[in-house]
Amino acid sequence: MLAISKREFIESFKGIKPIIIIAIFLITAYYSGKFSDLLLSANIDFTAEELEGIHTIAISGLLIIFGMLFVMGLSHDTMNREMHERTIRFLVTRTSRSAIIIGKFLGIWFFWIVCLVTSFMVISIFVHKFDMITLFQATSLVAYYLALTILLSVLIPKPGFTMFLSIVLGIAFPIFNSWTVFTSNPWVSWMKYLLPFYYINDRNFYFVGILLLVGVILFIAIAIFNRREC
Amino acid sequence: MFAIETKQLTKTFGKNKVVDQIDLQVKSGEILGFLGRNGAGKSTFINMLTGIIQPSSGSYSLLDVQGPNDDIKKQIGVMPDYSALNASMTAMKHLKFLAAVSEKPVSDERCMDILKLVGLEEQAHKKAGKFSFGMKKKLAIAQAIIHDPQLIFLDEPTSGLDAESVIHIHQLIQQLHQQGKTIFMTSHNLDEVEKICSRIAIMKDGKIGKMGSMDELRAYYQSTITVTIKHSPIRSTHLPTLEQWLTLTGTQLEMKTSQFTIHVTSEKKIAEIIRALGKYNIDIYRVDVNEPSLEEIFLDE
Ligand SMILES: Nc1ncnc2c1ncn2[C@@H]1O[C@H](COP(=O)(O)OP(=O)(O)OP(=O)(O)O)[C@@H](O)[C@H]1O
Ligand SMILES: [Mg+2]
Repeated sequence: MLAISKREFIESFKGIKPIIIIAIFLITAYYSGKFSDLLLSANIDFTAEELEGIHTIAISGLLIIFGMLFVMGLSHDTMNREMHERTIRFLVTRTSRSAIIIGKFLGIWFFWIVCLVTSFMVISIFVHKFDMITLFQATSLVAYYLALTILLSVLIPKPGFTMFLSIVLGIAFPIFNSWTVFTSNPWVSWMKYLLPFYYINDRNFYFVGILLLVGVILFIAIAIFNRREC
Repeated sequence: MFAIETKQLTKTFGKNKVVDQIDLQVKSGEILGFLGRNGAGKSTFINMLTGIIQPSSGSYSLLDVQGPNDDIKKQIGVMPDYSALNASMTAMKHLKFLAAVSEKPVSDERCMDILKLVGLEEQAHKKAGKFSFGMKKKLAIAQAIIHDPQLIFLDEPTSGLDAESVIHIHQLIQQLHQQGKTIFMTSHNLDEVEKICSRIAIMKDGKIGKMGSMDELRAYYQSTITVTIKHSPIRSTHLPTLEQWLTLTGTQLEMKTSQFTIHVTSEKKIAEIIRALGKYNIDIYRVDVNEPSLEEIFLDE
């Protein structure tokens, strides 16, 4: 499993897409670090909670609006390409299918953790404090996007289709998830418990709920993959 | 101990029963050659044992462990019928990575040794995407043995390789055999199977038709050992007795003036016939013995 994680982690940095994404995060971090002090001095009435998260709000916003697009855009074919090209055969004959899924998940997740920690460190250089809670929320959110991406990649055999889906979901997911959180429509509202935004609404430890959901999604992905013939 | 044991192993695709209730036992240390026409179900059989597809019914065990079992995979090497390599990884990286996935990390030296064994040492640092068909095949064989497995599945290891490479791979398989590994291989090359396999199974329509060592398979078709003897003239007084004796000794006797052909069941019978001819003072000029080739047995199936 660790061998698979390590390879996925290293592979995640290869190509133009990860470079663009890392650049976006670092630039956002740089400017949010630089300008959050400006915002504070602008005489706006912030609540105490808003004040605490103000330096990292741009990164959170970036993740909420574009996170699904970035994560799925980068990793939509992590399973189905290997099944399609049958490179997966060298893996399934060597290790368990759950080790393949969890290995891939951990490897790619670690790539994102490195990105996020670096961004948060850039911010902390400017503001001289490290926003741990938001970092945990952000990594949980990315974990959710990633687990969903892996599930879809197991479920849908064609890499071309998951690529298309990554754009559609990248746009639809944040809109739909926000709707479930803010709507009073009972037919929609219950879904907020299955989606991540509800758990990161406030600065607290609710994000653990996201990690539980991640476990459930990966469990389903493994169950489906176990039945797949490669 | 059996390296492979299957009980009523079956695979159906839709309504198509591709592997039909196969009971097979492969002893530890054997090289089993699996023959059969295209579509007989050989690869499907291997893919079930190696975790690529799931059996529809029946059971199997590998190295005495009931399958499917993920832990036993470390001790098993597989070269599937169809597989692809990661185009951006070099031969060397493939071997290091895949050995690590098997939780048996290997050194660069070990990778190089294995690449030499399959004849890929010069391509060690070339990306697999730039490999020829034969090179890919060799790398697929290399990855099946890199982690020093006890049981090795090779699905058509030599098809598509040049003559020299085939000899190379045969030597490699024999070397693995000497190390006590069990090898299960499929092939369409009858000479190859005859040369290197200790036992042969012939699959037809999802079932194993015949199985045994080359000698056993021949013995099964024993009546097809054809002996043709060219000899000096036989005295007419001896002819009826000799002819009668011959019909009791073998079958399908065909007598001509100075030559006869007969089908016998064993080599011993040939000796008996020669002795009998000597007793009647008949000189033997020539003896032709025609044993059934694997090809004939195969076509007969
Ligand atoms: N995934 C699948 N879905 C449906 N049918 C399949 C599938 N895989 C194999 N088959 C069918 O099963 C039969 C046996 O195929 P298999 O690949 O096991 O044959 P084989 O003996 O290995 O042949 P070859 O000598 O050509 O390699 C064929 O008729 C094939 O069409
Ligand atoms: Mg085949």
